[in-house]
Amino acid sequence: MLKNLFAGSLVVMLVASTGYADAVKQTKGNFEDKFRQLEEILPTANTYRTAGGEPGHAYWQQKVDYKIKASLDEEKRRISGNEVISYTNNSPDTLKFLWLQLDQNVFRNDSIAELTNDFNGKVTASTKGGAPAKLSLNQIRRQQFMQDNELGYQIASVKTGSGAALNYTIVGTLMRVDLAKPLTSGSSTDLAIEFSYNLVEENAVSARAGYEHFPKDDREGGNDIFLVAQWFPRLAAYTDYEAWTNKEFLGTGEFTLEFGDYDVELTVPADHIVSSTGALQNAKSVLTREQRARLETAKTAERPIFIVTEEEALQNEKEGTSESKTWHFSAKNVRDFAWASSRKFMWDAKGYQQGGKDQPFVMAMSYYPKEGGDLWKKYSTESVIHTLEVYSRFSFDYPYPVAQSVNGPVGGMEYPMITFNGPRTTLQDDGSRTYSQAEKRFLIGVVIHEIGHIYFPMTVNSDERQWTWMDEGLNSFLDGIAGREWDTEIPWGVEPRDIVDYMKSERQVPIMTQSDSVLRLGPNAYGKPAVALNILRETILGRELFDFAFKEYATRWKFKRPTPADFFRTLEEASGVDLDWFWRGWFYTTDHVDISLDKIYQLRMDTKDPDIDFSRQRDEVKAEPASIFAERNREQGRKTWVELNPDIRDFYDENDRYTVTNKERNSYQSFVKGLKDWERKAFERAVTEDKNYYVLEFSNQGGLVMPIILGLTFTDGSHEQHYIPAEIWRRNSQTVKKLLTFAKGKELAEVIIDPNWETADVNLENNYYPRRIIPSRIEAYKRSKSKALVHRDIMQDSKTKLASEEVEEEKDTEKPE
Amino acid sequence: MIRPTLVVIVTLIAGAITAPVYAHSQKAAITRVLFNPRTANLEVMHRFSMHDAEHAVKQIFDGDADIISSKDTQEKFSKYVADRFSIMESDGKALVLESVGYEIEGKFFWVYQETKAPEAETLILSHNALRDLWPTQINTVNIEGKHGLRTVTFDGSEELITVNLKPND
Repeated sequence: MLKNLFAGSLVVMLVASTGYADAVKQTKGNFEDKFRQLEEILPTANTYRTAGGEPGHAYWQQKVDYKIKASLDEEKRRISGNEVISYTNNSPDTLKFLWLQLDQNVFRNDSIAELTNDFNGKVTASTKGGAPAKLSLNQIRRQQFMQDNELGYQIASVKTGSGAALNYTIVGTLMRVDLAKPLTSGSSTDLAIEFSYNLVEENAVSARAGYEHFPKDDREGGNDIFLVAQWFPRLAAYTDYEAWTNKEFLGTGEFTLEFGDYDVELTVPADHIVSSTGALQNAKSVLTREQRARLETAKTAERPIFIVTEEEALQNEKEGTSESKTWHFSAKNVRDFAWASSRKFMWDAKGYQQGGKDQPFVMAMSYYPKEGGDLWKKYSTESVIHTLEVYSRFSFDYPYPVAQSVNGPVGGMEYPMITFNGPRTTLQDDGSRTYSQAEKRFLIGVVIHEIGHIYFPMTVNSDERQWTWMDEGLNSFLDGIAGREWDTEIPWGVEPRDIVDYMKSERQVPIMTQSDSVLRLGPNAYGKPAVALNILRETILGRELFDFAFKEYATRWKFKRPTPADFFRTLEEASGVDLDWFWRGWFYTTDHVDISLDKIYQLRMDTKDPDIDFSRQRDEVKAEPASIFAERNREQGRKTWVELNPDIRDFYDENDRYTVTNKERNSYQSFVKGLKDWERKAFERAVTEDKNYYVLEFSNQGGLVMPIILGLTFTDGSHEQHYIPAEIWRRNSQTVKKLLTFAKGKELAEVIIDPNWETADVNLENNYYPRRIIPSRIEAYKRSKSKALVHRDIMQDSKTKLASEEVEEEKDTEKPE
Repeated sequence: MIRPTLVVIVTLIAGAITAPVYAHSQKAAITRVLFNPRTANLEVMHRFSMHDAEHAVKQIFDGDADIISSKDTQEKFSKYVADRFSIMESDGKALVLESVGYEIEGKFFWVYQETKAPEAETLILSHNALRDLWPTQINTVNIEGKHGLRTVTFDGSEELITVNLKPND
């Protein structure tokens, strides 16, 4: 982004005039400095962000408070509202204008996102024998929806707090508001904006919010679930590292936002239940006495308590009303605000006493229609609480009064205190609802992940528009931990082995790539960084150091805005371990891990004592296979001259070339005498110990420098594991040798690199010495036909009648007597 | 002569709903195509996340389809995959890929195919599995065992990709 270059130009020009590739990869020879410190890459530390990755003494961030009154027109599926924004300029700069984000404009036909949408259909006509081009019905539905509906914001007015009109300019998904007078450092100003827009049908347009229509519901015309997000014009962030973060919303790169307090009044049909960011302020006017009593009970309940039961929700969705109600919510120190509304919702809640002084009590709640069914009743709210327990251990106490999971058309999306999650049950012919194990895993997994996002990035406020991995990668790493602590039988998380096919593939970009430009988002921004952190924790730093450093990062940046450099620097500083090589390799390159064990030499210490060494040499030669020439002569009965002439013998027939004479003995004695005392001591000890020395030769085939973990098997059947830190590669990142020494009698039989598959090494075959044939998956599959674990959908299957029973019954009926 | 305008037809996958799953951002499959020197076969190993496969089968077949516990669904899905993956030689002749089988391994569903390794060093690949369902599905194919590794990625409107396996100079 141009602006970015400008804002940071001074720093960039000072330190990066030579470009980073030059410093790493020299023109002389082929040396690559994979351990070069990230000095050209990381921004220079300043008073806002320290070199240790901590907020500096002059750290600042803006504060933006909102008072919003909005209403949902269910019939038109339209949101209308007005907001008063109080903007406090905590930066040292004077601002003449403010930039606001108009995210709904991403759906306009003339948005950059729409105009640059790649054709996703299949065109094959230019290839031989190709079929005609195809468009999917999905694409056509989307086009039709966008044609038929006016999308994007209608901004009715932008005024000062006292009502004077302000000049504004809309630029795509952004709006510049020119202030009546420049806003100096430390002062505040108010803006009043009237806005409205039509909600998108989530299933037609695929967004992070929208409505879902249920035409089959009993109520005439059906019902909707409304998920409302990116719904009010909100301030773009103004930061110390990028100034206005006004990069266009293209759909993939999520949000860069400011913290503030929200006071929001939402007017919806009177029979709707609203779930929202914030704490409900007017329970008395929107909830029945019964519902309020149930909420009270839920605070200390063992299992979730229904505030709105299934029966009540079913009754609700049959009717409808022309009345409306206004729900009033207040949220302190949040970076965004989202909500959901429907008459279809049942609602359950369970209190969580997390203790601590900041937020000792949290109410976990779930909202879902009958389509969510038992799956949601059992697991949603419990998953929310489990997430809080695990994430808080790795970061800080959950900082808000409520944590909510709402079922709607969005597969999974996070907002402060509220998440949208997609899993559903399946309606069977007998009218019951069941779910598969995969759907169950999906529900638990997605709730953990989305609730986890309330920590990262909703509280540790990383810049999603620039760096998806900072929230998705960290969060995928933590959801793997929380998942494994839920049920080890379910394969959670990302194992290093899961990512090897991605990491060795050709078409990829480094993790450190701007969010909208990432190729293959899933493995790039979720999988690979999660694996990298896993390796850092389990293999490189160990849990104690990693967990301390990670928690330090989380607490340093709680309610603040970290950048990648802050993460890298904090983990390094708090663990006390140089990790520049790790960040460089995993986050700034597309190298993969492939360390090969090419050779092993065995060495034995010469004693210099001729009486020992000469006979050893004789034994070595004897152990060699005899000359095949001599063997065949003997087989042919060919006699040698010596054999034919036994009468002639001399000294050399009795003494071979390994015979020791006093000449050698004298020379040995003078060698020993010539040693200095310490040399003689070391030498004599080495001779006595007679250890086994091995030299292992490694080559780095994948480029990524990593620790070398060795699994050693000895001829006596014993095993050992050795860990060689990655720094072994610092002077030569292509080939290295390592000397290993073992006690007398301890001889190596086999060596395996990375025996526990913890480093994401992509090639197993060259990890073995001696080489081992590693069967391909197909070879292995053919050998042990399907070792597939049988996960059964017992819920539906259990209704199957036992075949023999049916036969018995039939027989019975055939026997009248 | 100007080629006639492309005919636009609509694929018959009505009802396919594409709810984005930001949390489990998968919709991505990876395939290893291996020239196996021990068997002289070309082995094809498709890996799908169970989560993607679970949702896909309900859309491709019907709501009762169950990739985890129904052998019938597993078989139908592996056939579905096989029907949408092809390797051709440069003359357009498709290799006949035999089905080897399929299995579940933890988070993944694997589909296996193989054929006698072709001599040709230029191959044309096509991998439309799930891409006819979800426009955002990305299929990556790593071709290994013949002069290093080559990757082709099917995303956007990519349908046929030619890959040259000759060694790099």
